[in-house]
Amino acid sequence: MNIIETKNLTKYYGKIKGIENLTFSVKKGEIFGFLGPNGAGKTTTIRTLLGYLHPTSGEAFIFGKNIADNENIVEIKREVGYIPGDLNIYTHMTGKEFLDYFASLRNTKMTLLDDLLKVFDVPLHRKIKGYSKGMKQKIGIIQAFMDDPEIVIMDEPTSGLDPLLQQKFYDFLKNQKKKGKTVFFSSHVLSEVDKVCDRIGIIRNGELVALEEIEALKDKMGKKVRIKIKEKPETFKGHKNIKFNHGWIEFVSTDNIDNLIKKLSKFTIIDLEIIDFSLEDIFIHYYEGQT
Amino acid sequence: MNDVIRFKIAIQTMKEHWKTTIILTLLFVFMTAMYAGMFPQFEEALLEMLSTGFGDSFNFLPHADQMATYTGFLTLELYQIFWLLILAIMLGFIVGSSITKEIESKTIDILMSNPVSRKQIVFEKFIGFIPMVLIINFSTMLTVMGITSAIGERLDFGNLLMVHLVSVPYFLAIISIGILVSVIFDEKMKSSIIMIAIPFAMFFINSISLMTPDLEYLRSFTIFHYFDTFDVLKFGNVNVAGIFVFIAIIIVCLTVSLIYFEHKDIQVT
Repeated sequence: MNIIETKNLTKYYGKIKGIENLTFSVKKGEIFGFLGPNGAGKTTTIRTLLGYLHPTSGEAFIFGKNIADNENIVEIKREVGYIPGDLNIYTHMTGKEFLDYFASLRNTKMTLLDDLLKVFDVPLHRKIKGYSKGMKQKIGIIQAFMDDPEIVIMDEPTSGLDPLLQQKFYDFLKNQKKKGKTVFFSSHVLSEVDKVCDRIGIIRNGELVALEEIEALKDKMGKKVRIKIKEKPETFKGHKNIKFNHGWIEFVSTDNIDNLIKKLSKFTIIDLEIIDFSLEDIFIHYYEGQT
Repeated sequence: MNDVIRFKIAIQTMKEHWKTTIILTLLFVFMTAMYAGMFPQFEEALLEMLSTGFGDSFNFLPHADQMATYTGFLTLELYQIFWLLILAIMLGFIVGSSITKEIESKTIDILMSNPVSRKQIVFEKFIGFIPMVLIINFSTMLTVMGITSAIGERLDFGNLLMVHLVSVPYFLAIISIGILVSVIFDEKMKSSIIMIAIPFAMFFINSISLMTPDLEYLRSFTIFHYFDTFDVLKFGNVNVAGIFVFIAIIIVCLTVSLIYFEHKDIQVT
């Protein structure tokens, strides 16, 4: 079952392109990573999905309900938590007042609140004005998850969290996933996406350039091969985009390993490295030539 | 539907403004007490002033010739300027930034992540300011009653009540204009300045048209034209058409606000 589904979702700010023809879906129970550098259209996508921005064309559905309908969007939000990228909370309230206010707006049981407060402890009786960035981020996480919604949409949620808390947060996300909950988050921190996400979408200039399971994407990218041979490096042929680097021959192979080794065996090998693509390499690959 | 009746955003709006409500209430109670209490000392001087024709220089205010009577004095000193103009500006200033403030400080993002509709946000913000109006309004009325009794002046308390009853739709109309301005503008400074400018401009037009008979038709465009506090206070004449004008302003401003906000893109800047 698809929790989020977009069809050619497009948003222009006047003549400026925000996102164009985004088509993707997020399945129930998966952690979906939405990748792209600043300005690629991640926030525009999220804000359009949540009904803050009205799509210029195309459609989007959450729980099968069209987000363009104002009645639907209220129903949708009963089961959606959201952490904005640029998180701003009412500074004149204390943490407790803020959570109470939002609990009253949600009007449902705050089943996860106690657990969350144990993991992400915040000074509940202090005014939010006096919170550090990390504390604000923690209370942002608490409010998004406290009523245990079906899906939580997050815009770069770990900024401001120290590594220890980040780890706790990833564990928390994995636990939510185990319960069948869905998580959609945007990020430009590739290591975290690599750690927790099942599937990723990469967005570039407002358009989706990759949409795949991380492992499948890595397989598809092939492997990086570095080889040193006794023969003259220039005699090495049969692969695309070969680079010579201080006696090393470097290329990317999408062949299966057996074929690759058989081809290489024609040479006298001094040294050999076969390296998996990291998410970072994939990312750079999609952004090559971009400024 | 269940959520609409719970008025959580309205209650929050009230809570956020309780300090302002108390300060404004105290301010108006104090000013009312001062002006009404001062009348006995001023009475003779005012009579003298009017007899010398000096009162003509106040003809930009309605009923300036009544300045030496208690009712006229209250109307001119308190109701015409402080009540209808200054309080309107103050309320407008506060309400005019109510939604703008949430957009500018980006708290609207997190507010809208809750199952609340945009209509609900606009409507409940409006509702949330009603207690402020009622508290200031009736505290001021009670102060006038108290001081009047204390200094032994004559005033028809039934008419006084009418003034403050008509004041409710008048100030609600001001608030609805404030809500409209606050959904349109994304910067607090802009919306607040506009909400100071609107009542001032109307007051200015009203004054000009009072002094220049040729321009009298302009008065219909000012909200002050529809609420003559002297007529109500002295004779109990309530301008019923005026009340309908206020109600019409409320309905039009709120409807436009709801529709406009519904279609607005909430952008991050």
